[in-house]
Amino acid sequence: VSRKRSPARLVIALSVAAVLGVFLLYTSIAGGGTPSLRPSQLAGHAGKVSLAGRVVGPVTGDAHAAGLRFRLRDVKGTAVVPVVYHGTVPDPFRVGRDVAVNGTLRNGVFVAERDTLVTKCPSKYTAKKS
Amino acid sequence: MPELGRAALVVTLGLVLYAVLAGGWAAARGRRRLALSARNALVAAFCSTLVASLVLWAALWRHDFSFTYVSDHTSRKLPLGYSLAAFWGGQEGSLLLWLLILTGYCALAVWLTGRSARGLVPWVVPVLGLVASFFAFMLVVVSSPFATQLAPADGAGMTPSLQNPYMLAHPPLLYLGYVGLTIPFAFGMGALLSRQTDERWIVATRRWTLSAWAFLGVGQLLGAHWAYTEIGWGGYYAWDPVENAALMPWLAATAFLHSVMIQEKRGMLKVWNMILVALAFCLSIFGTFLTRSGVVNSIHSFSQSPLGSWFLGFIVFIVVATALLIWVRLPLLHARTKLESLASREATFLYNNLLLVAFCLTILWGVMWPILTEAVRGTPSTVSKPYYNFFLHSFGLPLLLLMGIGPLVAWRRASLRALGRTFLVPFGVALAVGVALLAAGAGSSLPGLLAYTFSAFVAASIALEFTRGTRARRSLADESWPGAFASLIARNRRRYGGYVVHAAVLMLAIGVAGSSAYQTVREQKLMPGQSMTIDGRTLTYRGVQQRQASNAQEFRAVVDVSIGGGHVTTLYPGKNVYPVEQQTSNEVSIYHDWRNGGDLFTIADQIDKSGAVYFKVLVKPLVNLIWLAGFIFVGGSLIALWPDAAEQRRLAARYAPEAAVA
Repeated sequence: VSRKRSPARLVIALSVAAVLGVFLLYTSIAGGGTPSLRPSQLAGHAGKVSLAGRVVGPVTGDAHAAGLRFRLRDVKGTAVVPVVYHGTVPDPFRVGRDVAVNGTLRNGVFVAERDTLVTKCPSKYTAKKS
Repeated sequence: MPELGRAALVVTLGLVLYAVLAGGWAAARGRRRLALSARNALVAAFCSTLVASLVLWAALWRHDFSFTYVSDHTSRKLPLGYSLAAFWGGQEGSLLLWLLILTGYCALAVWLTGRSARGLVPWVVPVLGLVASFFAFMLVVVSSPFATQLAPADGAGMTPSLQNPYMLAHPPLLYLGYVGLTIPFAFGMGALLSRQTDERWIVATRRWTLSAWAFLGVGQLLGAHWAYTEIGWGGYYAWDPVENAALMPWLAATAFLHSVMIQEKRGMLKVWNMILVALAFCLSIFGTFLTRSGVVNSIHSFSQSPLGSWFLGFIVFIVVATALLIWVRLPLLHARTKLESLASREATFLYNNLLLVAFCLTILWGVMWPILTEAVRGTPSTVSKPYYNFFLHSFGLPLLLLMGIGPLVAWRRASLRALGRTFLVPFGVALAVGVALLAAGAGSSLPGLLAYTFSAFVAASIALEFTRGTRARRSLADESWPGAFASLIARNRRRYGGYVVHAAVLMLAIGVAGSSAYQTVREQKLMPGQSMTIDGRTLTYRGVQQRQASNAQEFRAVVDVSIGGGHVTTLYPGKNVYPVEQQTSNEVSIYHDWRNGGDLFTIADQIDKSGAVYFKVLVKPLVNLIWLAGFIFVGGSLIALWPDAAEQRRLAARYAPEAAVA
């Protein structure tokens, strides 16, 4: 009897292994995701990163033409980096908001990828005591 | 008034703690009267939580800004419906809603549980009490909705993005789902504690699991529709951590719903079912943790709050306690039978479980990735859409296919010859559809083509099941076709309700594949009088209209849509500016084409002072099938849930106390 059920177990074990294999294959090829950094950590990162910071004015330009230009500052700190962005600007975007945007640093300017700007929680969702 | 609310919550905490301690003692020592009193404490806890909730609702209704919670989440101008919905607009209120639903469910569950599982109840009560104690403790000690202050003249108002009808239904539905998963979990643990590890706990909680799962599913679909019509980026699901937080327990519960059938029918997978029910419950708590703690960045991020560590502690406690309990009771969880063949219903259910859980865990891995990488490397990394889409394709498409295979394979052992005969029709249909789609140019997206071909296969197999069943009934009872069809469903509600749900999932898959794999996007800046074309449609921008609403200034771009010179409709995408909240919101305009189920989706992304508007336009084929699937999903769930007297009698006979002795 025990001989008879072994192929079933084997196939199930193999399926589990296959699922695990698909997973490992993807993570090893696609790498470990996009690092999210603050402006002060940007120096030395040549690849694509997700930059999170607070918007510092002035906000100039046109996101659907030459590009929207603003600067991002560490939420807790003073390091600042200029950003140029194209694409959809979320409604809550404005000076003083915390945002995140994907892109790469080129010659001291953070060139953002199209349509990757997201604003983080407007504090209205909760009490502002803390 | 706030004192009454606080007092009611303290009473609730006392009652649920009593349910844990007295209930646990009573169950361990077999004290019948004490167990009954612990049970009644749960019912009383619901009443006192209801009092606390009514106090909060009354305060919201009266705009009593001396309640900090009320002034933080409403304002005088906010319409009454939204003021009352602010109950779940913030953290403290959400926790209270959780406790209210939980105690309500507890009261119902211990009340309604039939004779078959009565032996479990003494052990279920302390488990339920334990979960309720956690939430009551949070509400009394950590995060009280009844904090007071010197009343300001007006409140802070509600975020404009929350001010729409979805706010009234989406959060409570999700909570009904999340919290509902507590009941099967508690019965599972009760079965382990009481050593009654047969199928009784599963039979007793089938409808609880099913309804929680249905609420969770509908809640998510409503959320997706909310995102689609109100947030307005042209999509409905963004793999955001908070969205994933609801998807994960739903996937785990889906796996559980399927695997319990194997345990009922064949007495296998007892350990696995315990693990699944614990996984679904933990993921629902984890979802609340994720939503409320701000530990992962999300577009939903509500706040950075002190709740996180409490929740984390509770989750760790549950995981460790559950694992230990299952470990200790392992000798009692032996399977009655063994898997006989890989070509059997059981085996397809196993693959279904494997894929669902794998998909669930890869999502969990993606959600946790920022936390894990920060812990290991120092800087957090995030995974995004490509990661999730990859696993949706590699696990979701086989799942879709299995949905067509499973129902047609016999239990125990299916012969290859019979399988070949059964699958001839679905396979032929799928092949024909695949070839036709390829000829029509659907090969532009491989996942899309596969999704459609598999869908055709599943649709054919579901249709086949219904025809076979109806034909059998017809020859058995000499009924008319519609009569036979109706009595077929009525007599096998669980099975055919399940097939209806399968049909809904199928439509969902078709809608998702159509609107994502085959969508067209065009962006263009237009001056008044200029036009753009997309997918055979011509959009002519006429100009901007302005209107003053009660709480917002509305700007609308007027866009005429025509096909081949004939006017089809006029769309009004635009923006609202809210002066009090100092926010703007995108207001998209959508044309539903009911002939092909597709949408023309227009966004006025940027309105310049010069009158020029930057438009983003999407054509999304078949997207309306997704929403239609929601209705069919509800219908199928209701069929499967509907009380069935014949089934009750059968179960009562099977699990009668005398039968257990004999």
